[in-house]
Amino acid sequence: MDTLINVAHGFGIALLPVNLVYCFIGVFIGTLVGVLPGIGPISAMSLLLPVTLSGTPESGIIMMAGIYYGSMYGGSTTSILVNIPGEAASVVTCIDGHQMAKQGRAGPALGISAFGSFIAGTFALVALMLVAPSLASVAIAFGPADYFSLMALGLVVLTFLTQGSMAKALLMACIGIVLGLIGLDSITAQPRLTFGRIELIDGIGLVPVVMGLFGVAEVLLNTEQIIKRDIINAKITQLFPSKEDWKASTGPVARGTILGFFLGILPGGGAVISSFASYALEKRLSKTPERFGNGAIEGVAGPEAANNAAAGGAFIPLMTLGIPPNVVMALLLGAFVIHGLQPGPLLITQNPGLFWGIVASMYIGNVMLLVLNLPLIGMWVQLLKLPYNILFPLIVLFTIIGVYCSSNNVFDVYVMIAFGVIGYFMRKLGYEPAPLVLAFVLGPMLENNLRKSLILSQGDLMTFVTRPISATCLALAVVLLVGPLLPSLRKKRELVALDEGV
Amino acid sequence: MSNNSNVKFRFNNSELWGGLIGLGLGLFVIRSGLKLKLGTINDPGSGYVLFYTGILMCLFAASIIVASLTEGGPTFGSRWENARWTKPLIVIACLTAFAFSLDTFGFLLSSIPLMVLLLRLIDPVRWSLAIPIAVIAPLGMWWVLKRLLLIQLPSGIFEIG
Repeated sequence: MDTLINVAHGFGIALLPVNLVYCFIGVFIGTLVGVLPGIGPISAMSLLLPVTLSGTPESGIIMMAGIYYGSMYGGSTTSILVNIPGEAASVVTCIDGHQMAKQGRAGPALGISAFGSFIAGTFALVALMLVAPSLASVAIAFGPADYFSLMALGLVVLTFLTQGSMAKALLMACIGIVLGLIGLDSITAQPRLTFGRIELIDGIGLVPVVMGLFGVAEVLLNTEQIIKRDIINAKITQLFPSKEDWKASTGPVARGTILGFFLGILPGGGAVISSFASYALEKRLSKTPERFGNGAIEGVAGPEAANNAAAGGAFIPLMTLGIPPNVVMALLLGAFVIHGLQPGPLLITQNPGLFWGIVASMYIGNVMLLVLNLPLIGMWVQLLKLPYNILFPLIVLFTIIGVYCSSNNVFDVYVMIAFGVIGYFMRKLGYEPAPLVLAFVLGPMLENNLRKSLILSQGDLMTFVTRPISATCLALAVVLLVGPLLPSLRKKRELVALDEGV
Repeated sequence: MSNNSNVKFRFNNSELWGGLIGLGLGLFVIRSGLKLKLGTINDPGSGYVLFYTGILMCLFAASIIVASLTEGGPTFGSRWENARWTKPLIVIACLTAFAFSLDTFGFLLSSIPLMVLLLRLIDPVRWSLAIPIAVIAPLGMWWVLKRLLLIQLPSGIFEIG
């Protein structure tokens, strides 16, 4: 009953005209960046982070959340019609989605992707609504040692899932921690690694780092090759999947939803891993696995449901523990902090309007996306025809303005350009930026909790293994760290490794 | 990676250099941690986490170096094979020039030439399209930020913008 009252209260906030406008802007921009290759939800959210300052916390966070789940919807359009994933979570959709489009079945592919996303997104919201308050009440009992171990586990999971060498991913995570510690020490107020620069006293901003590593570096990589787009020009008809399509897709959507939701909650997991896992699961369960890769609708329905469910699930660790499980959630954490709010176990009790307002807005956003996506597919296709040589200078301009506006400081523009160049060389040498960014956000919290737990336990390291939650997290982290040394686990890791740990 | 066995123990091995850079950074972080004071385990100091993170960095970098020496690795050249490597260099040069000119010349006088260069030097857009985009996009953004959002962009020594 309490939940229903809270949901009603949330709808009261989400249905305010100003919040409806922010929600619409969020899902529209999300779909747009999902559709456009070369700019993803991370860049868009960094760019719009300063804009959230102008409104209430609810409005700003509703918009940021809308960008995230909106991009999950939009990404499938590009994958199906152009065979270029609009964002990382839609990579798998290219395999069967584009084949379906080539066979003249672009409509059902787009349709099942939108409906599957809607069903999964709605399920994830109901689960978020039921799980988050209970988990938050448990999380109040978490001590600094538990938080430290949980964050360490999150970082290890992300490095485990990152493509390529695990040593490289771990090195990136360490560099991220060090970068996160630049500035004044929160306990002793001693400046660290500031090199006498006053701009570094407050540390390096998240926005220039993210925009550099993901926005500018992506542009640099894309300019290396001539981007050819195999756009399906035929008229898209029959967006509503047929009875047979629904019959084939019901199971994959249901399985993808549940799998995606739980993988989304996992620290370090998220939309990308869940879409890959769902595809692998459907192929394994199929009686005709040879159809996969040749236009099987199950290969579109499952992963699309999974990545949307994961997008919903990812809100749980952020809202209840204050720990962002991936880079996108780290940016959302930034939005909370900008408004002087600290996500964590007390958020739901201290700011019920904010929490339930965001949840309710996500229901509304999901409906908006369904209404927005199907009739506007023609417009998105037109947008895809915008040549990259015109698009990328505009992306560069937007990133520069976005970074400048986040702090009104030219120094941040320098930082972004520097991280863009570093990010480009990192990618060329096989170093993924996602562990660095997550560690950059978690670094100060990780240090704070480590030092607090050592002070409280008077230097007794056993505090990390005597507390059950902490011990479980550390044990899991050790298994994942040692695991790749075993050939069987190494093979599994290579199968699920991600391009970007978002 | 494994098919490049002929490049083993050569300095032209990008993995080796990546590891060496990581090792250098790790040593620097250890030194910084020590300078900031480690404190004790009962009361860790400002350099405590930095110091141990530096040690971890050195360990991971060492494992990358060992792997590069024993398993070999792709050369720098092969990383840029079939890539138009001059294009990102041009973009980097343009962005660096922009960064240096931003404070002096302001947003509008710096971003319009930046846009022209990016539109013309990578995959050239015809002049009749490049010039309007290069002028309208920064002007439009400047107008929205200054008039609607009341955000002041750098106006430079000429105070334009």
